[in-house]
Amino acid sequence: MKILVPVKRVVDYNVRVRVRPDGSGVELSNVKMSMNPFDEIALEEAVRLKEKGVATEVVVVSIGVPQVKDTLRTALAMGADRTILVHATDDVNQDIEPLAIAKILAKIVDAEKPQLVIAGKQAIDNDMNATGQMLAAALGWGQGTYASAVEIDEGAVLVTREVDGGLQTLRLKLPAVVTTDLRLNQPRYVALPAIMKARKKTIEEIDLAALGVDSAPRLTVLSTVEPAKRQAGVKVHSVDELISKLKNEAGVL
Amino acid sequence: MFLNETQEEVRSTTRSFVNDVVRPAAEALDREERFPAEIYDEMGKLGLFGIAVPEELGGPGFDTLTYAVVMEELSRGYACVADQCGLVELISTLLVRHGTPEQRKMLPDVMAMKRKVAYCITEPEAGTDVSGIRTTAVRDGDGWVLNGGKIWIHNAPVADTGFVLARTDKEAGNRGMSIFIVDLHAKGVERGPKEHKMGQRASQVGALDFQDVRLGPDALLGEMNRGFHMMLSVLDKGRVGIAALAVGIAQAGLEAAVDYAGTRKQFCKHISEFQGVQWLLADMAKDIEAARLLVYSAAMKIDRGLDATRACSMAKCFAGDIAVARTADAVQVFGGSGYIRGFEVERLYRDAKITQIYEGTNQIQRMIIARELLRKGASA
Ligand SMILES: Cc1cc2nc3c(=O)[nH]c(=O)nc-3n(C[C@H](O)[C@H](O)[C@H](O)COP(=O)(O)OP(=O)(O)OC[C@H]3O[C@@H](n4cnc5c(N)ncnc54)[C@H](O)[C@@H]3O)c2cc1C
Repeated sequence: MKILVPVKRVVDYNVRVRVRPDGSGVELSNVKMSMNPFDEIALEEAVRLKEKGVATEVVVVSIGVPQVKDTLRTALAMGADRTILVHATDDVNQDIEPLAIAKILAKIVDAEKPQLVIAGKQAIDNDMNATGQMLAAALGWGQGTYASAVEIDEGAVLVTREVDGGLQTLRLKLPAVVTTDLRLNQPRYVALPAIMKARKKTIEEIDLAALGVDSAPRLTVLSTVEPAKRQAGVKVHSVDELISKLKNEAGVL
Repeated sequence: MFLNETQEEVRSTTRSFVNDVVRPAAEALDREERFPAEIYDEMGKLGLFGIAVPEELGGPGFDTLTYAVVMEELSRGYACVADQCGLVELISTLLVRHGTPEQRKMLPDVMAMKRKVAYCITEPEAGTDVSGIRTTAVRDGDGWVLNGGKIWIHNAPVADTGFVLARTDKEAGNRGMSIFIVDLHAKGVERGPKEHKMGQRASQVGALDFQDVRLGPDALLGEMNRGFHMMLSVLDKGRVGIAALAVGIAQAGLEAAVDYAGTRKQFCKHISEFQGVQWLLADMAKDIEAARLLVYSAAMKIDRGLDATRACSMAKCFAGDIAVARTADAVQVFGGSGYIRGFEVERLYRDAKITQIYEGTNQIQRMIIARELLRKGASA
């Protein structure tokens, strides 16, 4: 079974994100970037399925700027067999919308013919939570989102999902799309010799133009602003004052 | 900025391991003076021992700069863990350079920490002046008989294999010492008790005593009577490693101090708003950055095959000195809390001190810098 894992290069989760002075987005130049943490979980799951002998090949694809190659090398060091970079732009500030990404991925799926796509449930930059679902729709495949457990079972995948009030398990006929939640696994630390070996593998490169996909943006960003600063708290002198404030000012009683 | 993509990736993977596994364990390891076998086991699996061992011998084959980056990151979590990495690096470098194919067969076990090693130079009468060693190896048939004693040897209480500098020619001074690979479980080897130290308390340090220890013909590492020179040949790398370790300790102190200054309030303000505190933080940051750049420059000189002696001594000396001075500043930013066990900066200050002493004291580093200046001229 072949597994395709789409990954996105995003601002590293340790970086304090700053809004660009003109409000057109957040600062992306000279900022540490790394693989979207949910995608790391997706790749880890795929590699584990391969190590268990369930999957035979793990292919990782990313769409974006040439610098994405760094992220793909990390993917190779984590255990991906092959990686594909779709050159979509040279502008690090240009974000490609989920719909376009889903259409591009559908083309890659046509070419690669994986039985399973495992994607992160969302990228931590825009928190769209849409690509996996749109891809499933574009392919006409079943989808299991927010996976906290994944098991392959005779031509199907069992996906345990974290939903309000407990866990739900779906059985999806393969091929299918699964998106990962935080508790699916703990991605491995990359071993140093694997980093060295990954440098010698090639990254397949495709031009977006060659895929014939309309990736024109449909969304317009009106403004980007910092979250409002937290106001200082108030000290109350008595329980009565607290109750009165909760009633009259906060309106929660 | 100075690192390429591979070095950046090594740094970030080491950093996440350190943040998750090493730094949270440091306080307890210091308190219990415990050998962290479980951490070393995991580090072995991640390839964090024997960083420069070439790929054909089973290592990752990284350069000295990458090694320095790993040392700083490990030390940011806990200096003892970095010191273990440095020890394995020296031993594996010696094995790669001078070992016979048979001797190199131990490399995979050394790099997995299944075989713990010790580097045994110092003796009661021979510290800075290594030529004063009294341990002897005397020819006996096709092997040798080893007699003598070593002190303050890292890993001595737990090690399986010692790399022991011994005198093989009484008359020949520095040209009369050799390095032997000694099975520390053999008959005639006695281990002294574990020393209780000021800092780096999870490192197991102690004495080794050799009484008529029989060594086979394959115990000699490299050439006979060239031990002192082999030791010198890895000194540059050792110094870069300890310099990076010192930077890591200081960096951890800076991070802790910046965090604390932004949360502790006095006079209704965060103490970070007081210029007196700001200047402490600024001086810490600039010295640490300067030390890091000295480390990078020394490592790059080694990697490019340039004369690195002066650069390595400058890096080791400066980084050790500022590690002590700037972790003291970190304690200052914390006020009384910084003096209390359990606060990271209290440990960092204790852990820093030894970086001015081992791998050649900072007096000796200054001596070397001056000697190089006077011999080769002052130009950079
Ligand atoms: C925690 C720890 C771990 C260690 N690990 C190891 C190990 O694994 N293997 C090993 O072999 N050794 C190890 N050592 C020993 C360490 O390398 C020595 O302590 C160090 O070389 C200094 O030697 P010494 O202690 O005898 O000091 P001394 O040489 O007696 O020096 C005392 C003082 O005199 C100064 N001094 C000496 N000569 C001169 C000079 N010519 N000019 C100016 N000043 C001078 C020194 O700088 C120092 O300030 C370790 C020590 C410690 C504390």
